[in-house]
Amino acid sequence: MMLQYFKDLESGIAEKIKQNPDIPNARKKYALEVSRLGRRLYSGENSVAWCGVTAPFDLLSAMGVTSCFVEFIGAMLASTGAIGTFLDHAEHSGYASDICGYHRSVLGSAKQGLMPVPDFLIATSCPCTGGLAVMENLAQIFKKDLFVLHIPQDESEKSVKYLADQIKEMTRFVSAHTGRPLDKEALGRAIENTNRARELMKEVFELASHVPSPTNGHDLSNFGIVMALLLGTESAIEISEAYRDEFAARNMDMKPGMPGEKHRLMWIQNRIQFKNPLDRLLREQYRANIVVDELNSITWEPVDPDDPYTGLARRAISIPFNGTIKRRVDHLQKLALTYKIDGAINPCHRGCRQGAGARGLISEGLREIGIPVLNLEVDVVDPRDFAEGQLATRVEAFIEMLGSRT
Amino acid sequence: MTDKRGYIGFACAYTPIPIIYAAGYTPYRILPMGDSTDQAGHILHDNLCPHIKRILDRAMGDDLPDLAGMVFMNSCDAMRRLSDAWQRVRPDVKMILLDLPATTDELAVSYFAGEISKFINTVSEWSGEKIENDDIEYGILLYNQIADFMNELTEKIHGGKMDISVSVLQRLFNRSVTGSPVSFIEDARKILSESRPGIETNEGVPVFLFGHVLPDPEAFQLFESCSAKITGDDLCTGSRFFSPVPADWKKEFVESLAESLLLRPPCARTIDSAIPGKIGKIMVSKANKSGARGAVCHVVKFCDPYFSRLPSIREEFRKAGMPLLVLEGDCTLRSIGQQQTRIEAFIEMLK
Repeated sequence: MMLQYFKDLESGIAEKIKQNPDIPNARKKYALEVSRLGRRLYSGENSVAWCGVTAPFDLLSAMGVTSCFVEFIGAMLASTGAIGTFLDHAEHSGYASDICGYHRSVLGSAKQGLMPVPDFLIATSCPCTGGLAVMENLAQIFKKDLFVLHIPQDESEKSVKYLADQIKEMTRFVSAHTGRPLDKEALGRAIENTNRARELMKEVFELASHVPSPTNGHDLSNFGIVMALLLGTESAIEISEAYRDEFAARNMDMKPGMPGEKHRLMWIQNRIQFKNPLDRLLREQYRANIVVDELNSITWEPVDPDDPYTGLARRAISIPFNGTIKRRVDHLQKLALTYKIDGAINPCHRGCRQGAGARGLISEGLREIGIPVLNLEVDVVDPRDFAEGQLATRVEAFIEMLGSRT
Repeated sequence: MTDKRGYIGFACAYTPIPIIYAAGYTPYRILPMGDSTDQAGHILHDNLCPHIKRILDRAMGDDLPDLAGMVFMNSCDAMRRLSDAWQRVRPDVKMILLDLPATTDELAVSYFAGEISKFINTVSEWSGEKIENDDIEYGILLYNQIADFMNELTEKIHGGKMDISVSVLQRLFNRSVTGSPVSFIEDARKILSESRPGIETNEGVPVFLFGHVLPDPEAFQLFESCSAKITGDDLCTGSRFFSPVPADWKKEFVESLAESLLLRPPCARTIDSAIPGKIGKIMVSKANKSGARGAVCHVVKFCDPYFSRLPSIREEFRKAGMPLLVLEGDCTLRSIGQQQTRIEAFIEMLK
């Protein structure tokens, strides 16, 4: 089912790009690569590793492994509209209905035999303990070996070394499973690609902060987190270049992504992954533009090709979901000021203890710099109990409140 | 050395408490008990583990002794969020968050030893006095003694060889982690010497109890009133808490302490990547060893580490042919009391 979905998606997008090959087609190129990744994962033709969110995907790619964090599958299932079946199945199999929907859907899918059997699994302790637990469950279901990366909470030398040593150990684990040793030249090329993509993504984010923004509220949704999967590849460079060119042109031609942009918003953590009316409500009724997502930023320095493990370790530690909430609030405040936002929306993904668990502290932190936050109560992948009317009313009230402040 | 400097609070069973004592403080475990008003959800989220929320409620409700400091372990998302919220509600109490590896391999032990060293430095700064190796050695020895006492008591009480109920055992446990270890040892010695041996006081159905926190002694009374006889447990407010540092610990204090903490019977959050789902196997093995006819798993709501592993734990018990009752609680006696009928029916079924 999913293989066909990704194949159809890939050919459909490729066709659309072919119709207009002279424009950057940034979002389409991004979606094309996402569908290609999906196809590779489901085709059964590649070495596949299911991973945690902060695994070093460029290193794995250099080792010939198609790797992906499992939450990506949850998001894909939600976007296809088919996720309910998998959530139901997980719940009937005994998984509590209040654990993260991403994880429940993946477990349901794996239990139904509809998730590709990986060659091995790499769990990461960041961003969440729930993520670790799902990887342990998947290792049991698939009867495949599991490697765990503990991502330390701070960037002290001791912590960086600990993670760098684990990543080195991980390469030995991967080699033992693929039968292929690490090709240092391939890793060098991957790191070069990663660094180049990093520079371009930085440019993209800088361009996106322009007032009015070249984004339309949708262009960069899921971008930062999903691009991590493509790091190390030429595709990541191509996509980032397309975004840079598209946004630069829009800024230069004064053609903003959302004409008449009235309110600038920040989206905290993950977007709602299934079709819902809130996007349209924000965009069409209120001209409220989501100009920045929490994970659309570069928090790490270029990786030193001569010492890649240290750079990869620093990168994993640097993501805003890691560490104390003060670190995360600092990051959000910085984004809020850079993007000159008027307000922020936090979906408070139900079941996310690390994210929603910080709801009150995040609100307080943004309030300190005068940014109001709308806290919703949504499982961002589970449409079954999406309280559409109630949520729309709250969004409307929030935007009207923003309007009264200007 | 004395523990006259006051209390240092802690919340997680993986805390290196001998270091607290070595610095001259009394370790005080903030147990999720008491009648503090439920208000933590405003700062955190209502869908967060009640263990964490009750601790924060106690901090917000001023239901704690004066604390000279607080130590948190990065054991799970909820515990990390608790440390964040603590800073907000109790900025007057110094705190430290120690990282706790998710695994138990050599690299993890070495890293955790570094975290314990960091703690030693921090707590020395708090007290204004360097902690000497002798102090650490004494702290380890003292808590090894408590571990031995508690393990002996637990074994005897669970085995029906002492005329003390499991609710009294729980009171003793709670005292051992909230008061002076020295006076606890004196009292424990007295209890052991004065107890009447060989009297089987509970004719109930043998049951193994596991989960994470269950500190309320009245909860154990409730189990007994339902004709259950607890023959073994795996709770972080019970037998899992006390694991003596092994005999060769004197080689490297900190490394040995790190190893003994990480390798103690695991909380669901700790992973052995070589044996995914190990916790279910461990529970079955412990339940069998205790001679139980059935097992009760008590999990607090919204605990991802436990809830995500429940299906495989259930499966292990099913394979072993041992009945399992899962109770979901919120750290209040009320929540367990509501399940009395289920407990009674389960025990009835085991008879």
